[in-house]
Amino acid sequence: MERLASVLLSSLLLAGLYATMSYGLAVIYGVMRIINLAHAGLMMLAAYVTLTLNTRFGLDPFLSLLVVAPLFFGLGVVLDLTLIRRLPRGGTGPSMQSLLLLFGLWLVLQNLAYVVWGGDTQSILTPYTMSSVPLLGERYGVPLLLVFAVSLLSLVGLTIVLRRTFLGKAIRAVTQNRDAALLSGVNAGRISAVAFGLGTAFAAIAGTMLSTLYAFTPDFGRSLLLKAFCIIVLGGMESFTGVAIGALVLALIENLAAAYTTIPTSFQDAISFSLLVLVLVFAPNGLPALFRGFSRRAVAR
Amino acid sequence: MKLLGVLRNWVLAGLVLVPAAYAQDVVRIGAVLPVTGKESKIGSAYKQATELAVKEVNDAGGLLVGGKKLKIDLSLLDDTSDAAKSAQLVEQLITQSKVHAVIGGYGSQLVQAQSVVPERYGIPYISGGAGATSIYGRSKWVFGTLSPVEHLAATQMDFLQDLVATGKLKAPLSIALLSEQTEHGNDYAKGVKEYVAAHPAAWKLPLEQKFELYTADFRPLLGRVQAAKADLFMADAHLEDFVNMQRTYTQMGLRNQMITYGARGADVSGRKSLGAAADYIFASGWWSDLLPYPQVKAFNARYKAATGAEPQWYHAMAYETVRALLVAIQHAGSLDPEKIRSALASLKLTESIVPGGVLSFTKTGQVDLPFVVTQNKPDGKVDLVWPKNDKTGEPVAPIPWH
Amino acid sequence: MSAWLKKTGVAPWMVVLAAALLLAPLVADRGTLNDLWSVAFAVVLASAWNLLGGFAGQISLGYSAFVGIGAYTTVLLANAGWNPWLTLPVGAVLAVLFSVVVGLPTFRLRGPYFSIATIGVSEAVRVIASGMEFTGGSSGLRMPSANFHFLSNYYGMAGLALLTVGLVAWVRVSAFGMALEAIRQDIDAAEALGIHSTRYKLLAHALSAALVGAGGGLFAMNFQYISPGSVFDFPLSLRIVLMPIVGGIGTLVGPVLGAVLFGYLQIKLLASPTLRDWNLFIYGGLLMAVMLFEPRGIVGIWERLRRLWRRRAPPTLEASGGA
Repeated sequence: MERLASVLLSSLLLAGLYATMSYGLAVIYGVMRIINLAHAGLMMLAAYVTLTLNTRFGLDPFLSLLVVAPLFFGLGVVLDLTLIRRLPRGGTGPSMQSLLLLFGLWLVLQNLAYVVWGGDTQSILTPYTMSSVPLLGERYGVPLLLVFAVSLLSLVGLTIVLRRTFLGKAIRAVTQNRDAALLSGVNAGRISAVAFGLGTAFAAIAGTMLSTLYAFTPDFGRSLLLKAFCIIVLGGMESFTGVAIGALVLALIENLAAAYTTIPTSFQDAISFSLLVLVLVFAPNGLPALFRGFSRRAVAR
Repeated sequence: MKLLGVLRNWVLAGLVLVPAAYAQDVVRIGAVLPVTGKESKIGSAYKQATELAVKEVNDAGGLLVGGKKLKIDLSLLDDTSDAAKSAQLVEQLITQSKVHAVIGGYGSQLVQAQSVVPERYGIPYISGGAGATSIYGRSKWVFGTLSPVEHLAATQMDFLQDLVATGKLKAPLSIALLSEQTEHGNDYAKGVKEYVAAHPAAWKLPLEQKFELYTADFRPLLGRVQAAKADLFMADAHLEDFVNMQRTYTQMGLRNQMITYGARGADVSGRKSLGAAADYIFASGWWSDLLPYPQVKAFNARYKAATGAEPQWYHAMAYETVRALLVAIQHAGSLDPEKIRSALASLKLTESIVPGGVLSFTKTGQVDLPFVVTQNKPDGKVDLVWPKNDKTGEPVAPIPWH
Repeated sequence: MSAWLKKTGVAPWMVVLAAALLLAPLVADRGTLNDLWSVAFAVVLASAWNLLGGFAGQISLGYSAFVGIGAYTTVLLANAGWNPWLTLPVGAVLAVLFSVVVGLPTFRLRGPYFSIATIGVSEAVRVIASGMEFTGGSSGLRMPSANFHFLSNYYGMAGLALLTVGLVAWVRVSAFGMALEAIRQDIDAAEALGIHSTRYKLLAHALSAALVGAGGGLFAMNFQYISPGSVFDFPLSLRIVLMPIVGGIGTLVGPVLGAVLFGYLQIKLLASPTLRDWNLFIYGGLLMAVMLFEPRGIVGIWERLRRLWRRRAPPTLEASGGA
C-alpha cells in the first residue's frame, strides 16, 4: 500500500513536468487553432539561453526564469507579427500551412543552436541538483519538486489571468467562439499576438525547467513534443486544467505500468504514441469531454 | 609544320599524363567519416586523428612500399551521419577515386552500411569505429580495430571477480542490469549474461531491462532496480541518458556496492554534469591515456603537441587504425589489394598503443584486445585499475557511501 | 498523344529527364549513377505521397512506415531464399494492408489531427521494430550478399519511378482523381454529392503505400543493410513530405521537381564545407518561405510568373494549356 502511495506521488510530480511542457502548446492551439511544431525548438532554445546565463553570469536557472520568460514572450510576439500574421486565415479548423511553417521554424532553430553552441551535449549543474528530500518513505530529487512547484504556480497564475483580467476573458472568448468575440469588440490581432507570446513564454519556462533535469543537444525535445501532443489531446486541447488532467493520466499510466507490470520500459514510448492515436480517434475532444458526456464540436470539424 | 609541332606536344603530353593517371607512386587511401550530423562529435575527432597519422608518415618522406617511398593521398569524405550516403561514398571512393584501401567510419549503423561494399570490389577495409560483432566475419575484406562490446562486459566481470578474489567484495553477488535499446546495448547485456550463465555459483542476475534512448523519466526503471535490491548496478547508456540516469539514481538515494555505465563515466563532460555523483563509477574502454607504456606516453606528447589537446580513446583508436593499415601495406610490399589484405590478416603490430601492446586480428577480421577499466576518484581524478599489471591506482570497492 | 500529355500535366522536360535517366548508364560514371538512383527513389516517394497528400489533401507524416515494411519484407524473404525481385510485390501488398489498418481509424480525423495521428503511428512502429528479435532489433538485418547487381537495381528504381509518375498522371485525369480533388476541396460537399470519402481516401492511401513499399524493397536491395534507424526514421517521413510541398503539392510536376531539387541540394551541400553546417537552415527556410509566400511551391511560383508574362504579351487566340 505504501508502494502505491509513492507511485502516485511520483506520477503527480512527473505530471507537473509534463504539464509544464504542454501549457505553451495548449495556449496557442486554444486561441489560434495553430499546432506549434516549433514548440520543441523553443524549449531547446530556452534551455541553451539558460545554460549561457548560468555559465556566463552564474545565474541560477530558476531565477533566470525572470529573464527568460519575458524575453521569449517578446520573441513570440515578434514571431506572430512577422510570420503567423501573414498566413491566410481560412476555414474554421487549424491549417496545415501553419503546421508546416512552424515545423520549418523548428529546423531553423535547431541549426541556429548547432552554429551558436555546437552539437555537444550540455547540462547545468547547480548545488542542489543532486539533493533529494524524503517523502512517504522514498527520496525525491529537489529539481523535480521545484519544477512541480513552478508548474502549479503557472496553472494557478494562468487561471487567475483567464478568470479575472480583461485580457484573459478576451482570450477565453476567442477560444470559445472567435466570430462572436470579434463582434463584441475584441481586437483579434492583439489577442493573437498575446496568445502566441504567452505560448512561447511557456515553452521557454518549460525549456528552462527541463534544463535543470536533463542533459540536452540541439535535437532536444522531439520525443517530449510527441508526449505533449498526447497530453493536450487527452486533456481536450482547450482548457488548461484539461492539460493538467491529461498530464496526470499519462504520468499515471507510465508509472503504474512500470511498477505493476513487466512491460519493458523501452515500450513506454510506444504506449504513449498508441494512446495518442487511440484518443484522437475515439475521444477527440479529450477525456474531460468524454466524462461530460457531450461534445461541443462534432468529430467532423 | 606547325601541325606536327602541336601533334608532337600532344603525344608527349599523353606519354606523361596517361601513365600518371594510374601512377603507382602514390598510395591512395579513402575514408568516409561522420564529420557533421548526429555523430559529428566523435566523427570529427576521428578525422583529426586520421589526418594526423597520415601527415606524420608523409612528413617523414612517405610510406616505404617495395623499396620506394610513396606519398599517401588521403581522400576523406563526410557522410553527414547518413548510413545510405556513407555506403554510396565508399563505393564512389573505390570505383572512381580508385583507392587502394578504405578506412571506415564511426558508429555501428554507419559501419554496418559501409561494410557490405568492400566484398563487391575486393578492396581492403578497416574500421576503428565499431565494436559490434555482427559486422565482422562476413567478408574477408573487412577488418576492425575495436574489440567486441561483449568482451567489454566480460572484462568488467573479470575485474569484479578479481575484487571478490582480493576480498574487497563478497560472493555471491547479484546484478541489476540496464541497457539501451541499440546494438551496443544489446552486445553489452549479452556479454554480462553469458558470464553470469558460465559462473552461476558466484553471480546472479535478478533484473535485466532495456530502455529507449532519451527516456524522459528514469524513476520507474530505477524503481525496479531499487525493488530488486541487487548488490551491483551495471548499465550501458549514451552520454545524455547516463547523466539523466545517474542524477535520478543519486536523488532517489540508491546505493549499490559498485556502479558502472559501460564505457561512460570517465569522460570530462560526464563528470562536469554530475560532480561528486560520478565518483567511484568504474568504466571500461578500448583505450586510456593512463596506460603506462612508453609508446603511449610518446603518443600523448605527440598528439598534444600537434593538436593542443589530450587524446581521448577515439583519437587513439582512429590513429592506430591508420597505422595498422599503413604498416600492413608496408609489409605487403605492393599496392595489390589481395596482398594488402593478407598482410592485414597476418599483422602483428608491436609497440602498439593499444592495451596489451600488440595489435592483431582474429579470424573474423575483428581484433580481440584487452579492455581497460578505469575508476573515477574524488576531485576529478581517474585511475586505471585493469589490466592489473598496468594499474595506476587501487580500485575502491565497495563504494564508500556515507 | 501530345494532347493527352498536356491534359495529364506531363511537362516536356519530364520526358527529357526520363530519357536521360534511362540512357545514363551508357555515359555516366558510377558516382553520378548513384545520385540518379537516389533521385529516382525520391521521385517515387514524393509522387506516391502526393496521391494522398496532394490530390486527396490528407497530409500524412508517417510514410517511413511503408518504406520500412517494404524493406524488411524484402530482406527477411531474401534471407529465407526468395529471389529479391519476387519479394517486391509481397512488400507492396503488406504495405497496402498496413495502410488500411492505419487508415480505417485515422481517416475519420481531419487536417492536422490526422497528421499528428500518423506521427504517432509511425513512431510506435519504429519503437516496436527496434524491440523485436525477428526483425534484428536495433542491429538491423543484412541481405544475402550474393545478389547485388547495381545495374539491375538502377533500372529497377528508374522503372518504378516512371511507373509511379505514369500512374499518378493517369489518376489525375481519371474519375478517381477527380473524386479525390473534390474531397480535397470540400469534403462535406463531396459527401453530399455521393462520394464515399473514406473509401476513396483508403484507395489513394493503398496505391501510394504499394508504390512506397516497393521502393523500400528496392532500397534494401541496393543498400544490402537496413535497420530501424535507416528505414523507420521520422526525418525520412519529413523529407518525403518536404519534397512535394516545396515542389508544388497536388500537381504532377511538383513532386518530381521537389525530388530533383532536394537530390541536387544534397549533393551540393555535402560537397561544400561551409554549406554543410547549414543544411537544416536551408530545408527549414525553404519550407517557411513556401508556406509564407507561395503554398503551391515552385510550380505555383512558375504559374505566377507565367500569368505575369502573359499579361504583358499581346493576347492571342490560342487556348492556353493547363499545367
